[in-house]
Amino acid sequence: SATAAAFIHEIRGSGPKRPRSEDTARQTLSLLRKIIAHGRWGWAGELMDLIRTEGQRMTAAQPSETTVGNMVRRVLKVIREEYGRLHGRSEESDQQDSLHKLLTSGGLSEDFSTPYPSLRANVIEAINELLIELEGTTDNIAMQALEHIHSNEVIMTIGYSRTVEAFLKEAARKRKFQVIVAECAPFCQGHEMAVRLSKENIETTVMSDAAIFAVMSRVNKVIIGTKTILANGALIAVSGTHTLALAAKHHSTPLIVCAPMFKLSPQFPNEEDSFHKFVSPQEVLPFTEGEILAKTNVHCPVFDYVPPELITLFISNIGGNAPSYIYRLMSELYHPDDYEL
Amino acid sequence: MAARGTAKRAAGAGAARGSEPQEEPPPPLQAVLVADSFNRRFFPISKDRPRALLPMANVAMIDYTLEFLTATGVEETFVFCCWKSAEIKEHLQRSKWCRHTSPNTVRFVTSELYRSLGDVLRDVDAKSLVRSDFILVTGDVVSNLNVSRALEEHKLRRKMEKNVSVMTMIFKESSPGHHARCKEDDIVIAMDSATNRVLHYQRTQGLKRFRFPMSLFQNSIENVEVRHDLLDCHISICSPQVAELFTDNFDYQTRDDFVRGLLVNEEILGNQIHMHVTTEEYGAHICNLLMYEAVCSDIIRRWVYPLTPEMNFTDDKNQSYTHSKHNIYRGVDVSLGHGSMLKENVLIGQGTVIGSNCSIMNSVIGQNCRIGNEVTLDGAFLWDGVHIADNVQIQHSVICDEAEVKEKVKLKPHCVLSSQVVVGPDITLSEGTVISLHPPDEEEEDDDQFSDDSGVNKEESKVKLKGYNKKDVGSEGRGYLWKADDKNEDDEEQRQSLWGPAMLSEEESESDSDLSMGSEEPDSRAASPQLDDIKVFQNEVLGTLQRGEEENISCDNLVLEINSLKYAYNISLNEMMQVLSKVILEFPLQQLDANLDSQNYFSALLPLLKNWTPLFKNYIKRSSDHLNALFAIEEFFLEHDSLCTSIAKVLMTFYQLEILEEDVILNWFSLRDTSDKGKQLRKNQRLQKFIQWLEEAEEESSDGDQD
Repeated sequence: SATAAAFIHEIRGSGPKRPRSEDTARQTLSLLRKIIAHGRWGWAGELMDLIRTEGQRMTAAQPSETTVGNMVRRVLKVIREEYGRLHGRSEESDQQDSLHKLLTSGGLSEDFSTPYPSLRANVIEAINELLIELEGTTDNIAMQALEHIHSNEVIMTIGYSRTVEAFLKEAARKRKFQVIVAECAPFCQGHEMAVRLSKENIETTVMSDAAIFAVMSRVNKVIIGTKTILANGALIAVSGTHTLALAAKHHSTPLIVCAPMFKLSPQFPNEEDSFHKFVSPQEVLPFTEGEILAKTNVHCPVFDYVPPELITLFISNIGGNAPSYIYRLMSELYHPDDYEL
Repeated sequence: MAARGTAKRAAGAGAARGSEPQEEPPPPLQAVLVADSFNRRFFPISKDRPRALLPMANVAMIDYTLEFLTATGVEETFVFCCWKSAEIKEHLQRSKWCRHTSPNTVRFVTSELYRSLGDVLRDVDAKSLVRSDFILVTGDVVSNLNVSRALEEHKLRRKMEKNVSVMTMIFKESSPGHHARCKEDDIVIAMDSATNRVLHYQRTQGLKRFRFPMSLFQNSIENVEVRHDLLDCHISICSPQVAELFTDNFDYQTRDDFVRGLLVNEEILGNQIHMHVTTEEYGAHICNLLMYEAVCSDIIRRWVYPLTPEMNFTDDKNQSYTHSKHNIYRGVDVSLGHGSMLKENVLIGQGTVIGSNCSIMNSVIGQNCRIGNEVTLDGAFLWDGVHIADNVQIQHSVICDEAEVKEKVKLKPHCVLSSQVVVGPDITLSEGTVISLHPPDEEEEDDDQFSDDSGVNKEESKVKLKGYNKKDVGSEGRGYLWKADDKNEDDEEQRQSLWGPAMLSEEESESDSDLSMGSEEPDSRAASPQLDDIKVFQNEVLGTLQRGEEENISCDNLVLEINSLKYAYNISLNEMMQVLSKVILEFPLQQLDANLDSQNYFSALLPLLKNWTPLFKNYIKRSSDHLNALFAIEEFFLEHDSLCTSIAKVLMTFYQLEILEEDVILNWFSLRDTSDKGKQLRKNQRLQKFIQWLEEAEEESSDGDQD
């Protein structure tokens, strides 16, 4: 449909500005809700195929925008649950099949072929709940700020993340601390972050990325945002984060990642660069440079891969978790059959 | 309501758009896409495929243009096609643009009668297709620009001063020497830095000096900027008036005509042109193969982000790529043999199979290609279905659909194999070779070409025509050579057109370019900076005289023709004399090739001068004309040092033919305010003898008079 095309257009980055993950999540959900409400489908299996093909299209358009795929998986899970409820299965058995059950069930356990007239309304209702849940994610994360930020601490962050901004601002209401922002060249989103923080009377310092290691010894905590949390607890975050994480590890400074649950993706970092994103080299070496451009290759990556062993703690809207616990959260959020769309 | 109607009418004929934007929602943004270049720059490639459909990084050019338009918020696009319109239409109908979900409605306007951009815009006006400001692009623009800011500025200007600004041209900042700067599109612009108004627009055409009208700097404008760091994106925001102006001025053919005409008549018509310069975004126009190469590599190197191959913006299932380190893009089902290296900046289309131990860099490979073992590709652009056998080396060349390169073939830079050509085995194609299945002298059968099944057509033409030259294409080859070492002027043109004029400078050493270089050099370093018109006029005069020489046209008729040219280009009598002398003096050079022997030169010149005496006499009337002619002669000999010795003879002839008078010659000789070189020329022994002789003759004759 036209809205889907427009949405794909936007997540490709052809639109005027780079989309926020939260907006992307909300838009994906609204789009899927529209498809469920107006699409032609008779039973749950058909609906799931519909959602899956639409999801494949959207994720293929911009693989680095993992939020889209995550929301599609959430919706698929919702459909499974609603179908299961209508089919008369109890909640617990759905949650985790016992080994004995798996052995005795024999092949495909469900075909989702029974049509239920109330399924449509139920699924839409559940998606609305998801949307409401999305609304509160940033606040939920920010609420935990006081547990982590103490008075007179020096906090380091990198680039610009709305979640981290809200987190720090919340803490600043009660406590006084100092923030050092790495500017995150070449896009320098760090500048915007610093401006926004200083407006809230937080003592803020901007520094170049090269100074991260030198300053790290003075830092009490590193708090960052991320684009995606991978299934192994690793991050796909703005480039420069890996440097920051290594420096933090060297100085044994705790590294805290603020990320809402919709950023948790069941993908593993096995395919080399599949969710990487390289943008125009304009920011690194401007087009106006002239002759040299014909002879050079300039790369401008947007994201870094940060391995899980460098991360101390994840703070999500449902609380704080260690990287090793991510697999468990994942199995709660998504159905194993949907890991691959 | 009535009052509103009159207000609308008063806003001018072109102001059919809502004149009260605060009441009505703004009309949807429209675009006019001209999917034809109205030239044959891409022949013979474009014989098989219209230019707009040539693949750039495996996606047709027109798709980039449409994506650019859509991304920038255009809701309705008129695609004007002429050459191979059916193919363009078919392509677009299969694409995502014609799906009902497309935010950009594409409408086709097809006519065989369009011969230029001017015709298209006149048709836009005749059919009154545009309702408000529209974007004008050609079908070969690759860009990720967002014109909304430029559009806002344009609209604001139009609102501030009613309908004065008619067009906003969009330029990209890029310093000279940039690889995406097209030599033939190079421009010099004078602009008002406060308002971004274009004051002067001139193509450089390889000139080193430029002349700007004095009035530019005498006006009340405070800051005039003269810029040579701009790349013309060939994207312009036009008001509906532009189409009307094209209708009013039926001689406007191109946008250049339009811009020039508007700037010249600015005071009379009161229309202005503005410009918008972008620094961050990308925009380029593919006018020759050099640009094709440059823009392709820019796409691969991600300058046009987000229009990169792995984005698959055309939503075509066959066009999904994965992007990995060093800008390597791989399609689905690509197989790479053992030991093969994809070094950097490589795009490989779906279903392509590459053999072992190949080395590939800076190349684009289409879909379903077969590449053998030990192949080296550097800067190669292979389109779909190309077969390459073992041990082939290809550098900076374009190989079109389903062409085949057999074993051990070497392609030097800038070769072109058009579709279904076969070359090899074991042959080396020299630099700049173009091979096509269409023989170069094939008659124009444009009309039935695209409607028929091309395969059948080819079979027929193959039977009709003589066999392929095995020397050119190898023992198993198929195809005709379009460019060879013979001194055919058409070939020279061909090279220039396909790869652009930059090639010329690179290949100066080649023997076949000498001919044209000889004639071009004096022009480019003419001592006095000349305006374009004079140059064109000079060429026209040269052509006229050449024809006169070949066809023995009488001098009276030549005078008539030159007179009409003179008026056409608005040439003053002074300039006329200089040009005429110069052309005639240069004339023998054209015929003698580069053999600059003063003896030969003079013997060739003498009969010409005798023939054309009436011509001179017609124009030399006042003494200042004599002087002008002499200056032109002097200038010519200063430029051609080796011919210096014959200056006395030439002057003698002029004198004897009673073209130049002795007083004036003496007068000229005694002029003091000349350059050092001029003084040296005057020291020439023969010349001094001649002058001495003249002086004596004068004395004698004056003596005679007195007696």
